[in-house]
Amino acid sequence: MYLIFFGYGFASLIPSGSSTGSYLHFLTPGIMAFNAVMAGAVAGGILWADRRYGMLAQLLVQPFTRTEYLFGIMLTSLLLGLGGAALMLVIASLLIGVSTLTILGALAAFGAIALGSVFFGSLLLWIAALVKSNNAYNSIQILVLFFVDFASTVFYQNTSSLPYPIQILMWANPLTYIANTARGGYFGTLSTNDGIEMILLAAETVIVLVLATRAYLRSDVSME
Amino acid sequence: MSAATPLSTPNPVIRAGGLRHTYDGKKLALDGVSFSVEKGEVFGLLGRNGAGKSTLIKAMTTLIEPTEGRLEILGMDARRHGRRIRARIGVVQQGESFEFATVETGLDIYGRLWGMQAAERHRRAEELIEQFGLAEFRRKRAWDLSGGQKRRVQVAREFLHDMDILFLDEPTVGLDVVMRRSLLDLIRARVRAGLTVVFTTHNLEEADYLCDRIAVIDHGKILALDTVANLKRLYIGKQTIDLTVDAPDAPRFYAALRAAFGERGTITVEDNQAVLLVADPKAALAQIVDLAQRLSVQIEWLTVRPNTLEDVFLHSIDAGRDTAGRP
Repeated sequence: MYLIFFGYGFASLIPSGSSTGSYLHFLTPGIMAFNAVMAGAVAGGILWADRRYGMLAQLLVQPFTRTEYLFGIMLTSLLLGLGGAALMLVIASLLIGVSTLTILGALAAFGAIALGSVFFGSLLLWIAALVKSNNAYNSIQILVLFFVDFASTVFYQNTSSLPYPIQILMWANPLTYIANTARGGYFGTLSTNDGIEMILLAAETVIVLVLATRAYLRSDVSME
Repeated sequence: MSAATPLSTPNPVIRAGGLRHTYDGKKLALDGVSFSVEKGEVFGLLGRNGAGKSTLIKAMTTLIEPTEGRLEILGMDARRHGRRIRARIGVVQQGESFEFATVETGLDIYGRLWGMQAAERHRRAEELIEQFGLAEFRRKRAWDLSGGQKRRVQVAREFLHDMDILFLDEPTVGLDVVMRRSLLDLIRARVRAGLTVVFTTHNLEEADYLCDRIAVIDHGKILALDTVANLKRLYIGKQTIDLTVDAPDAPRFYAALRAAFGERGTITVEDNQAVLLVADPKAALAQIVDLAQRLSVQIEWLTVRPNTLEDVFLHSIDAGRDTAGRP
């Protein structure tokens, strides 16, 4: 939806001819990266719903551990992120053609999305483990997703023409790292900056994963 | 009565000693609970909402680690061997589960979670569908079922796998009388085959029907623990008076009544209603009427009846309140 409506909607407003070609080409790796956020939201939603409706308590009295359940959710997030990104790539190739993508570029793009899926999966799991009311969970989730989605380079580049606070927010947003690396892989323009951003994202992912795991292991299994 | 005292049983499958649990280090849910459950026993947990029953069940099913105390399930430390314990227990909880799946798919998923082979899963599922009368809605999704049908499915599902102890958290809620009795009889049959059952319920009749021993729990403490027969025997020779007075007069009237009765009877008060347990109901009635006249209080309802397990439950809780110094 984003690819089609945002892509075609804004393509008429944004002049082509830059290094990234048309806006649809620019948007494709951004939307692929965006799947990491959507996958993370699903992961958080699974834990939240399982806690809220008592399913978690019913699962955890069976012969497997809490950590295995967590691993299952993270795997779901990872597969959804990668699957969604692959689907976006297929749709984009049908709509506009994808000629610049190399194997190395694809590995970099999908590697960044995989890491991003774990990051956002952990972030949303952390929230789902800490929050105790449905309204609070929904509000925080929407706020986080709205900020992450739009203060990133998914839909537009971080240029000096943007207000400075927005530039800072975009620079600090992990989705920007994922979108930049996916874009670098897509257009074959990977740089040292992308490598640094991936190292930063990996470090942030470890921190958030540890926090999420601790909060999840300490959380009550149900809301009752 | 052996309240809050560990029983020395020859073959305990559950042994709890001095169990305490607090949520977030603040809310005390279990306060020094000690008991044991013998193999092949049906052990009932009775208590009001928030009494600590669910926390105790969560501890015994390894969903939470008690803050203090010792807890052994099937001879294993519940803190250290959660997974091994869970492989040998079954738990029927109150929440919804597998709502997205049809009855037969839910059974199949459950069997997979327990690592059962396909042929065994299908064979056991067919047996349970027949045994629990699930055939007519076997292809319906759980969210399309009535509350009673969902409950039947949940209980049936737990019998898919083998187990040594079955924990049932209010398993008969929403079931009609016929299905309730059929379920209780089914559990009894499994108990005769060696299964141990820990059972929570608000329905005291079914506790009476099913349980070998009962623990009455309130404010995280076990107030009474004994066989149903022994608990009832405590009240032999006494009778129960149900009393209701005008709501505005209730506090001062019941305060005066408590003072007047002293040690000669126990009084449980809920709003403007009271239940009195007395040895001499005739004298008690005269005293109540006399007190009402002196205080100009209108009596709305006054009746004498034999004791039930419900009275045991109510008076245990009331005695526990007095001991804890609560109103």
